[in-house]
Amino acid sequence: MKALRPSHVAAAALGGSLLLAFAAVLGLSWGASTIGLGDVIRALFYDDAPAATADIVLRIRLPRVVLGALVGACLATAGALFQALLRNPLADPYVLGVSGGAALGGVAAIALGGGFGLVAAASPVFAFAGALAVTALLFALGSGHGRLASTHLLLTGVVFNAFASALIVFMASMAGLVEATQIFVWLIGHLAGARAAVLPWLALFTALGLLGALSQGRALNLLTLGEETAAQLGVSAERARRRVLLSGSLLVGAAVSVSGLIGFVGLIVPHALRLTLGSDHRLLLPSAALVGASFLVVCDALARSALPGRELPVGAITALVGGPIFLWLLRRQALRGWLT
Amino acid sequence: MRIGRVRRAQVWLLLVMVAAATPAVSAALEPVRRVVSMNPSLTEMIVALGAAEALVGVDEYSARRVPSVADRPRVGGLYSPSLEAVVALRPDLVVLVPSVQQAAFHQQLEALGVRVLVLGQSPVSFQRVFDALDELGRRLGRTRQARERIDAIRRTRDAVVAATSPLARVRTVVVITREPLYVAGAASFLDEMLQAAGAENLGARFGEPWPRASLEWLVEVAPDVIVDSAPGDESAETFWARWPSIPAVRAGRVVSVPAGDVTLPGPDLDRALLRLARALHGDALPLELEASP
Repeated sequence: MKALRPSHVAAAALGGSLLLAFAAVLGLSWGASTIGLGDVIRALFYDDAPAATADIVLRIRLPRVVLGALVGACLATAGALFQALLRNPLADPYVLGVSGGAALGGVAAIALGGGFGLVAAASPVFAFAGALAVTALLFALGSGHGRLASTHLLLTGVVFNAFASALIVFMASMAGLVEATQIFVWLIGHLAGARAAVLPWLALFTALGLLGALSQGRALNLLTLGEETAAQLGVSAERARRRVLLSGSLLVGAAVSVSGLIGFVGLIVPHALRLTLGSDHRLLLPSAALVGASFLVVCDALARSALPGRELPVGAITALVGGPIFLWLLRRQALRGWLT
Repeated sequence: MRIGRVRRAQVWLLLVMVAAATPAVSAALEPVRRVVSMNPSLTEMIVALGAAEALVGVDEYSARRVPSVADRPRVGGLYSPSLEAVVALRPDLVVLVPSVQQAAFHQQLEALGVRVLVLGQSPVSFQRVFDALDELGRRLGRTRQARERIDAIRRTRDAVVAATSPLARVRTVVVITREPLYVAGAASFLDEMLQAAGAENLGARFGEPWPRASLEWLVEVAPDVIVDSAPGDESAETFWARWPSIPAVRAGRVVSVPAGDVTLPGPDLDRALLRLARALHGDALPLELEASP
């Protein structure tokens, strides 16, 4: 394995950070109402912006930019992890069923919550618990001959996702209209529930998941060369896989529990980065976090400002932007390495 | 309590969000004696006309919302109406609202020779409610009661309009659900109520009846009153207090209303309208209005 060139690392770090900063500025200055950059700065750093401007910038847009950045970082990093773990270019954060578990937990809290006197705020907690439960299930059932095997993992995940969606449809059809609408919105994926209270928790789990992911960069590089090579070079494939699976699940669980199922971020960001940075995971994983964060923040800014006075679900925007980008990447043969 | 509010909101959404264009069947000649109601609003009307004894079956939402018919046989909910349960009750008439969800159910009933009456076509308005009361009155042999109820609502509406028209329009947003934010828009039943009650419905700038709006928009239009009928555990006051720049929040004029009580287009529109007008104008509204209905 080639050593990382410091100039590459510096360029990637600088580029990613600048991109995120640019996205944040965009996220803070775009929205349903027209607020000039000057007023945004006044609201952020001075205390003399008009009250409504301060409300909009500090108490509507800022929490959403932070939420979007955290969720985007989780999804893109998890996508990169799972693509490497399963050696499959179609792997996205939702492929292993962890999202199905989270969705099932979250939807159950919405649909049945009233009956058990649960507060709506319980939905993220239940979603996260659902994600962890499926991760445990993957560890238990995803092993063939005592070790985690890609095919076993993939099949377990796909089947669990199908099972979870069937249950979700069942719950949605039994729920009242209000709950059914909430479930629908949740499944498309949205950032409208940006509450200051959930952000510290989300940040904590994101940080844990990212640390776990970044520590496996070298192991993932060797794993993609094949298990035997990895073993010869002193990497226990089994241990690396378990760590990757756990970190990825933590990231997906955290993201899905607060924002529902936002598609394409975890798919296109890692692929686009492989095209520009190459596939060294030590560089790819942290870049995916930064670029994923930026991508989702920009998409959310679009979702909030595309129609005057209205708001689109951000999941619809990521799909609209992401689908064509994926096809373009395919034409550019960014996926060439996978297809041969 | 919480369940009650959620159910009321469902009932209300059920009435306002469904739409179809099925013409009402022409009038029957003699009073029907066995009625199944598939909609709480229609159930309330039948009870208000004094014909509760003719109800031989009701849907789940009616049973929850109207206590006096809670003991009737139940025939399912919006998504799960039971054809068999309805037919087994041998009704002379089944009343329902034109909903996408029950369109197939409606056709199946008619195919089995059950007489169906569709009331409350979208968009629901005062006039639609009058029409529904009138039609139910004729079918149930309660024309006098229907006439009285309609006249009472008309009188109250005229009185409220007369009392509020000299007052300044109150810039108002009616919140249906908070996250995601849905508000009362133009050409909705609530828009008509708001106009009669002396409000400027800020949500009317959106063309459709129940638009999804953005939170920024609400903060920016700076309503003087927020009428919040959203279900949820958090009180309307606590929720909206997050954005203190909103004039309604600063002035303590976030009004929480149980969804069905003000927004359900039932037989008690006069009371709902008075309640809304009082919430909007407070003490500026002449007191004698309260006694009139």
